[in-house]
Amino acid sequence: MLQIKDIHATIGGSEILRGLSLDVAAGEVHAIMGPNGSGKSTLAQVVAGHSDYEVTAGSVTYRDIDLLDLEPEERAREGIFLGFQYPVEIPGVNNAVLLRSALNAKRKHQGLDEIDAFEFLKLAKEKMAMLGMDPKFLNRGVNEGFSGGEKKRNEILQMAMLEPSLAILDETDSGLDIDALRAVAEGVNALRSPDRAIVLVTHYQRLLDYVEPDHVHVLSEGRIVRSGDKTLALELEDKGYDWVREAANG
Amino acid sequence: MKSPALEFDALAAAVSALPDSGLTAARQSALEELRRDGMPGVREEDWKYTDISALVDITNNWLAGGSTAASTAAEPAAGLEAHWITIANGRVDENSIEPLPEGVTVTRLANIRSDLAQLGRLGAFNTALLHDGLHISVASDAVLDKPIGLLLSDYAGGGACVSQVRVNIELAPGSRASFIEHQVSSGVGDLYANVAVNLAIGDNAGADYVRIQDRAPQHNQTGYHGIELGRDARLRQASFDLGGRLIRDDLVVNIAAPGAEAEFGGLYLVGDGQHVDNHTRVDHRVGPAVSRQEYRGILAGRARGVWNGKAIVHEGADGTDAEQSNHNLLLSQSAEINAKPELEIYADDVKCSHGTTVGQLDEMALYYLRTRGLDKSDARQMLTRAFALAIVGRSPIEQIEQLLLDAIDARLKGLLRETGA
Repeated sequence: MLQIKDIHATIGGSEILRGLSLDVAAGEVHAIMGPNGSGKSTLAQVVAGHSDYEVTAGSVTYRDIDLLDLEPEERAREGIFLGFQYPVEIPGVNNAVLLRSALNAKRKHQGLDEIDAFEFLKLAKEKMAMLGMDPKFLNRGVNEGFSGGEKKRNEILQMAMLEPSLAILDETDSGLDIDALRAVAEGVNALRSPDRAIVLVTHYQRLLDYVEPDHVHVLSEGRIVRSGDKTLALELEDKGYDWVREAANG
Repeated sequence: MKSPALEFDALAAAVSALPDSGLTAARQSALEELRRDGMPGVREEDWKYTDISALVDITNNWLAGGSTAASTAAEPAAGLEAHWITIANGRVDENSIEPLPEGVTVTRLANIRSDLAQLGRLGAFNTALLHDGLHISVASDAVLDKPIGLLLSDYAGGGACVSQVRVNIELAPGSRASFIEHQVSSGVGDLYANVAVNLAIGDNAGADYVRIQDRAPQHNQTGYHGIELGRDARLRQASFDLGGRLIRDDLVVNIAAPGAEAEFGGLYLVGDGQHVDNHTRVDHRVGPAVSRQEYRGILAGRARGVWNGKAIVHEGADGTDAEQSNHNLLLSQSAEINAKPELEIYADDVKCSHGTTVGQLDEMALYYLRTRGLDKSDARQMLTRAFALAIVGRSPIEQIEQLLLDAIDARLKGLLRETGA
């Protein structure tokens, strides 16, 4: 589904990704782990299409499409979803309005009619119930005055509504209490299916107790230095990132 | 720079040519006042950023062309439930006055011997050329169930056109009333409309007032709104500047009795070639009293905007709570806003605050919306609309919200197109 080949990416002139390659097939859950500054978030933003990041070499292919040619909104409509590490507060833009606009943008792209108001509300309430979110959040400004946990649940709500083919969740587990973590994990697990892929970018293996990954990759200094199955995450938790760095250098 | 000069001989002739009425004496003394003081020029602090010499030129052209005013019937905005009174090209449409709601009396200023107080720097100009005006009274304890609409409509068919509007509104103690002032215009000619409104809110009375300025893009207007608040009186006001070429409005609030509360503010959407200036002044002469104002502007292309908010807390006005804010969103590099809050405090026990911001659209928010599949232009529209909504939410008359939102959406589309988004 997603093939990243030897990409190099810079922001403000400094190189963050230095020859990173990754293959994600449909049906798989990948976890990308690594210390702060290793390039995890850059990887997520490059796939989503943030214009501040410049890809200087390599390729990113998604379902045979050259992703780097597409605007962020085109990528979204093709089924890519990025869960933000720091979801943006947008006062004055109603959460329901955003959800509906996003859903309709995708439906239009697929040649479908806009969702009607009743169907939309039913769907939104169903997904909110799964995530333990109060329906009143629909009528608030997007992330406006939300707590950290509420913002992350809201990201998962958007994902659940949009049903992406490829979801990249950037540190969605950070700063969550155990209830919120479980709710987020439930949202992610509900999305798992043979025709979807999920990439979890995370600093800790805590989330992986709830969402079991098929593959775990460790990122260091802009490239993947080690890949393995879920036991790698546990080993990492046990031995720390220095172990990976040493292994990579040695 | 030369001060804009009116052609006085032509002006005097035009004033004399107006039908003899209860206004005749007031017009003549206003003419003398105007001869003495002239029109405001950019050397005056309050007019520094708004040069009205083009409006003086229109006036001179109009005077040279025989100074006739075309009077055309205008339609009130569809869907707005109000008792509409029409003033077309400065002429009161007699047929639109009756039947009046209970508790409301309307008198034509021409029918009474009026000594008009001059409202603002352009007040004498207004009175001198005033064809007719209105005095609207709301009786003690009357509560109106729908707004009184003032449809100020002008048509400039060709050549130059100048119109004067004067409305005095008086709310007797304990009464409640709401007003919609809708300013519109059409036609390809040059237009300069000069509007003066005085609103006196009696003790324990409450007024809601919305001004919607939706003039044609080549037309100009200056306006003055003087508001007096009695003891425990309440004002809720909002203005929306959506159209026009050169627009200036002065909102002057006078708090002379304790317990008064004044909330006012506005939204200005300004595009290429437009200049919109909102000047406000609130005088807190006694306390306790509250004034809160919030203005927001969205400017695109080579738009120019001015906001000047002055709050004066006079000696002894203890217990004053005055708040003012002005926020601006610039959609282009060449748009310009001159924003100036002014606080003058001569009392001890007061609470005053002000804040002014000028910024661009939040790039991060724009990106966030795009990652959710929204077009760049839709995302920009959504964010600018959100910025404007804060003022729409302040509009005291709920039924006009949808109309406003539709008008704002349409205008924002135009502004964003100018910006090339």
